[in-house]
Amino acid sequence: MDYHQLLRDSLTRLPTVAATIDSIRKAVQDRGEIVILYFNFDRYSKVEEVYGWEKLDSVLETTGEAMRAFLTKSPLASSKLMVAFPNDDDFIFFHVPQDDTPAATDAEITELTAGLKEAVSTEIERVHGEDIAALFDIFVGRSLVIYNPKLRLERQLYRGIREAANASKSLEHREQAKKVSDLRETLRSRGLYIEYHPIVITDNQKVFGYEALARGTMRSMRSPEVMFEIAAQSDLIWDLSRLCRDRAIEGMSKLLKDGELLFMNVDPADFADPSFDVDTLKVKDPTRVVIEITERTAIKDYPKFRGRLKEFRDKGYRFAVDDAGSGYAGLGSIANLEPDFIKLDMSLINCIDQNFIKQNLVETMVRFANEHGAMVIAEGVERKEEYEMVKSLGVHLVQGFFVHKPSTSAVTYRPPVLPPAPVPEEAKS
Amino acid sequence: MTDTAHPPILVVDDNPDNAHIIRDYLEARGYPITVAYNGDDAIKAFEEVKPSLVLLDVMMPGRDGWQVCREIKQHPTLGRSVRVVMVTALDDWVNKRQALQTGADDFVEKPFELTKLASAVERNLKLLGPAGDATSPSARTR
Repeated sequence: MDYHQLLRDSLTRLPTVAATIDSIRKAVQDRGEIVILYFNFDRYSKVEEVYGWEKLDSVLETTGEAMRAFLTKSPLASSKLMVAFPNDDDFIFFHVPQDDTPAATDAEITELTAGLKEAVSTEIERVHGEDIAALFDIFVGRSLVIYNPKLRLERQLYRGIREAANASKSLEHREQAKKVSDLRETLRSRGLYIEYHPIVITDNQKVFGYEALARGTMRSMRSPEVMFEIAAQSDLIWDLSRLCRDRAIEGMSKLLKDGELLFMNVDPADFADPSFDVDTLKVKDPTRVVIEITERTAIKDYPKFRGRLKEFRDKGYRFAVDDAGSGYAGLGSIANLEPDFIKLDMSLINCIDQNFIKQNLVETMVRFANEHGAMVIAEGVERKEEYEMVKSLGVHLVQGFFVHKPSTSAVTYRPPVLPPAPVPEEAKS
Repeated sequence: MTDTAHPPILVVDDNPDNAHIIRDYLEARGYPITVAYNGDDAIKAFEEVKPSLVLLDVMMPGRDGWQVCREIKQHPTLGRSVRVVMVTALDDWVNKRQALQTGADDFVEKPFELTKLASAVERNLKLLGPAGDATSPSARTR
């Protein structure tokens, strides 16, 4: 790697911290002070986990572009402003005010943060879709470094960075507490609605069924991933799962046509919930319900778990393994669950047309499914090329933005409208 | 200037016999070939030659093929315009899954057949744009 490559991060095209410090040295010495902002982007790692590293690279690229565009227009643009990319998914702003203006105040920083968050989130939603945009948060910490000529400048700046990073962390913790209270309010008011995401037959694109996706009506609870993350931290998983299941089943009879199936996500942990059983689920026709179990969560007690599955299976419920192939467990663990459907992990579908290993893996899964009488579902199909590829590999069913044109079916997919969050019919009744 | 139909290829294998068979075969098909016999040299050669494709053996002393693949794919300037084909016995799901994690684009099973190797080379080069540039992730997303 040559010297110049070390100065800029290749994805965001932002300078690295070392390069930035060198270029602002004189400005800091002249002005005598510098404001450091630490942007802590939360949950970017989740994007990588769910969609694969290529997607996070691409999201970071969008983030960098959106930040640059926003800052050129911001009031701070006239000052000497440098952005650095320290590592992973955080960003640092160095802001040396102009000679005749005071350093940015906390109020100005708060305003800047809100604007930036909006700008980045809008751009990510435009380029990568609502699901990804709803995932992440930005927390900004601030520190002011008064230049002391007796101390080494680099050390003063690195201490300032640390102070700003700590401030952003404590903000994150405060926000976390607020989210827990939002979740409690959601559970109390049953503030959840369901989006039904069509799953179509690959060959003719006819609707085969719908996956129920829960969305909170509160803005902070929009993403199911966020809701469930908060629920896990505050020991409210069972309560949240119950509400999601009830809502999904309530809407089923109204919205699904005869023969269409309802795919419902159930966490393996839910099977330990005494109130989750075949008798309490208000399902009229269990043969039309497919219970999706993620491969991501480890199943601790296999024999017991299989026993629980059997109770449901005997009543007519079907099963899907969700996120199949996400872990390193291989096909054996999938076979153990005897699924009727195998939903491929999204990271296998993203850019599958460009990766021959992904193609080989999906081909293997289709063969495996055919041998076991199961059907394979490709989730996260966003581009024509991806659709054509999974079709040619024999994938039975497809779900994703690419096939999500306004449907002629009785169930119309409702794209989320923001803001304010839509209040669905079932929440009003 | 490199011939766009025959962009440069880097062959990495610690077994000189293997490396030379591949080199001679691909050279005869018109590709300019550079050979490296271990992981460290592979990285150096990669930065020097800036190949469009790397054929990478997995089992090597020192830096193994996985590590080299990861470093190549994460290279700040060259990483996104190169295709990496692993030459290995990737026999099961877990291994292939690991290969994906390192950023590999394709694999040729070992012991390899030269015709299969050539078709892997061709299908991967085909995915590079005319400028020899891999489609960037932003172009790949909708």
